[in-house]
This record gives sequence, C-alpha cells and structure tokens, in this order.
Amino acid sequence: MKGKTGTVKKKHDFKWWRNMIVKAAIYFVLICVGFVYLEPIFEIIAKTFMSAEDIIDPSVTWVPKNFSLNNLKVASQVMKLGTTLRNTILWSAGLALAQTMVSALTGYALSRYEFKFKNFWLVMIILAFIIPTPVTMIPRLMMFVSVQEAASVQLIGTAIPQVTMAILGQGIFSTILILIFYTAFNMIPRVLDEAASIDGASSMKIFWFIVVRMSATTILVVFLFSFVWNWNETYITGTLLRNNIELLPTKLNMFNNEFSSMASAQGGAFRLNKAYKMAATLISISPLLLLYVFVQKQFIQGIENTGITGE
Amino acid sequence: MAEKKTNRAKGGRTKGYERRQNRLGYAFMAPWITGFVIFTLIPFAATICLSFCNVNTNVTGYDITFAGWNNYYTAFFRNTEFVPALLSFLGMVIPYTFVILVVSFVMAYLLNKIEAGKGLMRTIYFLPVIIMSGPVMSQILDKADETVQAAQGLYNGYEGVFVLDMIRSYSPRIAFFMEGIFDQLTMILWFTGIPIVLFVSGLQRINGSLYEAAKIDMANEWQILWKITIPMIKPTALVAVIFTIAQLGTYDTSAIYSLIKTATNNTNGGLGFAATYSWIYCIVVLTVIGMAFLIFRERQAKRRDIW
Repeated sequence: MKGKTGTVKKKHDFKWWRNMIVKAAIYFVLICVGFVYLEPIFEIIAKTFMSAEDIIDPSVTWVPKNFSLNNLKVASQVMKLGTTLRNTILWSAGLALAQTMVSALTGYALSRYEFKFKNFWLVMIILAFIIPTPVTMIPRLMMFVSVQEAASVQLIGTAIPQVTMAILGQGIFSTILILIFYTAFNMIPRVLDEAASIDGASSMKIFWFIVVRMSATTILVVFLFSFVWNWNETYITGTLLRNNIELLPTKLNMFNNEFSSMASAQGGAFRLNKAYKMAATLISISPLLLLYVFVQKQFIQGIENTGITGE
Repeated sequence: MAEKKTNRAKGGRTKGYERRQNRLGYAFMAPWITGFVIFTLIPFAATICLSFCNVNTNVTGYDITFAGWNNYYTAFFRNTEFVPALLSFLGMVIPYTFVILVVSFVMAYLLNKIEAGKGLMRTIYFLPVIIMSGPVMSQILDKADETVQAAQGLYNGYEGVFVLDMIRSYSPRIAFFMEGIFDQLTMILWFTGIPIVLFVSGLQRINGSLYEAAKIDMANEWQILWKITIPMIKPTALVAVIFTIAQLGTYDTSAIYSLIKTATNNTNGGLGFAATYSWIYCIVVLTVIGMAFLIFRERQAKRRDIW
C-alpha cells in the first residue's frame, strides 16, 4: 500500500490528497446527518430507561444514572401490552394480506393486458394516492352508517369497513403497492406466460402458478409495507374503528389521558413525565424496528422500484 | 373458452385478441375498480355536494338540506380557526417540500460518491419511513419538557447564533422562519427517507458515458452537476415531490386534521362543515402538487429543446 502510494504520489500527489479530503468531508456530513436522523430514536431509548430523577437532572442527557425498567413496566400496563400487541399484529397483518392480494391482481392486469382506457385507470390509481384522505372519509363514514341503519348490523366500530376497503384496493397507500407489483411483474419474461398458455393454462393459472410463484420477494415486500403502514395509520382507524379494538398507536395517542386516569385510580402515586411517554413510544415502535432490522434491504428495493415506474 | 374463440375466428384474430385482452384485463382490475368507484370516486363527488349542505345526524340517519355557500362563508369568515390552520398548513408544506427536496438530493448525491458504508447509511436514512406515524411524531415533538429545560437555562433557542443574529437584525421575520426550519429539522429529515432512496436509484441510472464525455470536454464537477446530473434527475425529482407532498398531506397531526375530526364528530350539522373543510384542504393540496408538476414539467420540456 505504502509503496504503491509512494510511486503514485509523485504524479498524483495533490489530486490524491484532495480526493481523500473530499471523501472524508462527505463521510463527515453523511454521518452527522445520520446522527440527526437517529437522534429522536436515541432519545426515546435513553429516556425510556431513565428514572424520574434522571429526567429532571440536567447533567443526564444520554446515559441514565439510575437505570430503571420501571417506565417500560408502567407504560406496558397502561397500554395493556399483551392484548394490544396481539390485536395490532393481527389487525395489520389481516389488512396487509387483503391489500397484497388486490394489489397483485391489479398490478398483474396492468402489466399483462392491454385493455381499453388503461392509461386512464393508471392516472386514477395515481390520483387515489394524491387525494388527501379526509376528502373521502366523510362520505365513507356516512355510507357505512347508512348501511348499518338499513341492514341493522353493527359496522362502525368493527373491522368490517376497513377490511372491505382493503379487499377492494382502497386501503392505505394502495397505489404504491400496486406500482411495486406492476414493476416487478414487468420484469418477469412474457415468454413464460405464452408457453403456459400454449399448454392450455388459463390466465388465472398463469397468474397463480407462474407470476405469483416467481415473485415471492415482491409479495413479501408489499405485505411488509402494507403491514407497517396499517400499523402506523390512525386517522381512518380512529374514524371507523373508534378504539373498539385496542391498537398500539391509538393507545399511544391516548396515552396521556389513560395514564392520568390510571394514576389517579392508584392514588396519584405516579406523575406523568417524558420517561413514561418515551417508554410508550418505544413499545409501539419496537416491533417495527425489529422487523426493519431483518428486511431493510427489501424495503428499500421496494421503494426504488416504484420510483422507476413513476417516471 | 376465450382461446377457442380466437382460434375459430381466424380472420378477426386481432379483434378477438383485443377483446380477450380487454376482458381479462378488466377481470383482474375488477376488485380495484369496484373499490375505487364505491370508496373513492363517489365519496369524492359526495364531499363536493355535502360541502354545500347542512348535514344533521338524527336517529334514523342523516338529514341533508341544501345550504348554498353558507359552509364556505362560515369556514372563511366565521370560524376563527380554519384560515389560520390552512395558512399554517401552507406555511408548512411549501418550505418543507423545498427543504426536503434539496436535502434529499444533496444526501443522495453524496451517498453516490462513496462506496463503503453506502448501504448502512441508506438503511439509516430510510428507517423513519417505517416508524413514522402521527402518535409517534406528536410524542417526540411534545415540547412540554423543554419548558422545564428552558427554565433551567438549558434550552437556549437560537439566541447568540451569529449568522441568525445577523439575519435577525436585517429582517426578524426571515430569522424566525429559519429558526422554525431548524427547530423542525429532525422532523423534516424524517420525511426525506423515500426521496433519498428515489434519488439514489435515479442517480445510478444516469449513463456513465455522459460523465466521461463531459470530463473529456474539461467540464469540472460543478458544471457536470448543473449541466448533466440535475437535468437528468428531474423526472425523479417530480416523483419525489409528489411522494413528499402526499406524505405531508396525510401527516395527521396537522391542525386541519384535528379541525376536520372535531367537525366530523359534531352531530349537529358538523359533517357539512367537515366536508367543506376537507374539500378546501383537498383543493389546496392538489394545487400545490399541480404547481410542483408544472415547475418540473416545464423545465423538462426546455431540456428537450436544447437536446
């Protein structure tokens, strides 16, 4: 290494040093910004393990002096962690499954068939992404309430409205999921379809046995994106489900109130502080963080693919 | 069945093929189209109608009466919260989008210059996309504790930052605006996850021979950046902008969302107002996206002229 640089040095001395300095500066900027990204997460983790004294102690910023698991314990009690976690996982996974299926069908139609007004529907798919949710939420709510009155079945406050919407492709960020499938299916050679259809396979069979079987990774990516977004979604859930199924983000939203009501029930021994709130936040994001550790590469590739389609 | 038909009608093969494509295409699209019409198209039209109506909730359902421009009048002139909420949304979305776009482009550009640790860095920058949600954001942004720290003299704000002091003496308003951006920098950065990934893959897809040609013609880095990279990245930038605005628009802790929520829960004529609010909000969001679209498309057209 040294000898090599030595010989090169004579010719490229200035250039080599300049390159090194530029590289170092780039790394410096990237790492600094990376820290800014992670700072809130570090803060959440640090404060979670702080005792009440540490929180108000100005000399403690990152590393707690009195390490305590008490915050986590109290927060998980307030949020009823056991049932809430199970509910949230089932809820997100169910909606994600529905969204994945309908997005795959739609993506397949767009990628394989030249039907009339295809471009019009593509624009509509993108429009469905751009329109802000509140615009469609009010009539949706009224629709469900009217159906509920007419058929005298409970709809609002149950999972039915959102599951119906997800099955029919109107779940959260469906557009992105469709676009991910669209690009992925476009990369599967059409020759395979043709070969199968010569052998007498119906289009449903081609879809199931060739296209779906060949895109396991894509299906996983779409499922996970949908899972994460459904997990994080609170506006639609708050309007249609109304806390009838207890979910983690909703609980986090109401954490301040629930905490004080529980604290007063126990004789006001606890006071709400940042540490409890951060512990609650950590609880509600830790499953997602765990997920991200394992499949971060697929997540990033999924978004890359939509970018290509979008252009 | 469809195949038999195609085989039989040898003369009209293309027509049969077309029909088959049509039928199968719509068969696979059917669930989405049904959902779109029921849950997006009709509601969208209904919101426009409802914004001109008084909606009262009663025991058996809804009592809808036409109210003309009354709701709009109330939204703009009687309700003291709506216009400030709308303005604060605009004041957020325009500078945020600008800053997000610039920051994510710069980050992607820098990421593209390094080899080691590129994947790790991208992983860090993308992380917020996974965990970002309304409740988490509001917990993190909760400034209640900072008042305690301010009393202890720890949270000093931006007093004494030389550059900002200089700007403040020139124009307090600009300084205030910049302080706002610095205050929210982490949150702004959290929205750059998707744009960075888009930009990185966009940069990688630029043909390397273009750079080589430019270097042979003695162009320096700066010229290459402005004459090749930025024009080539513009389509990606448009996608990134649309992603960003849509994300900011669905970020459900903004003041408008809470106004709409309260109006929705108000059984006494609230739904009409909620419809009006959300319809105005929608127009604003679509206008902003349309503006972004025009800005990027126009320059693209210019580029074609030059080439």
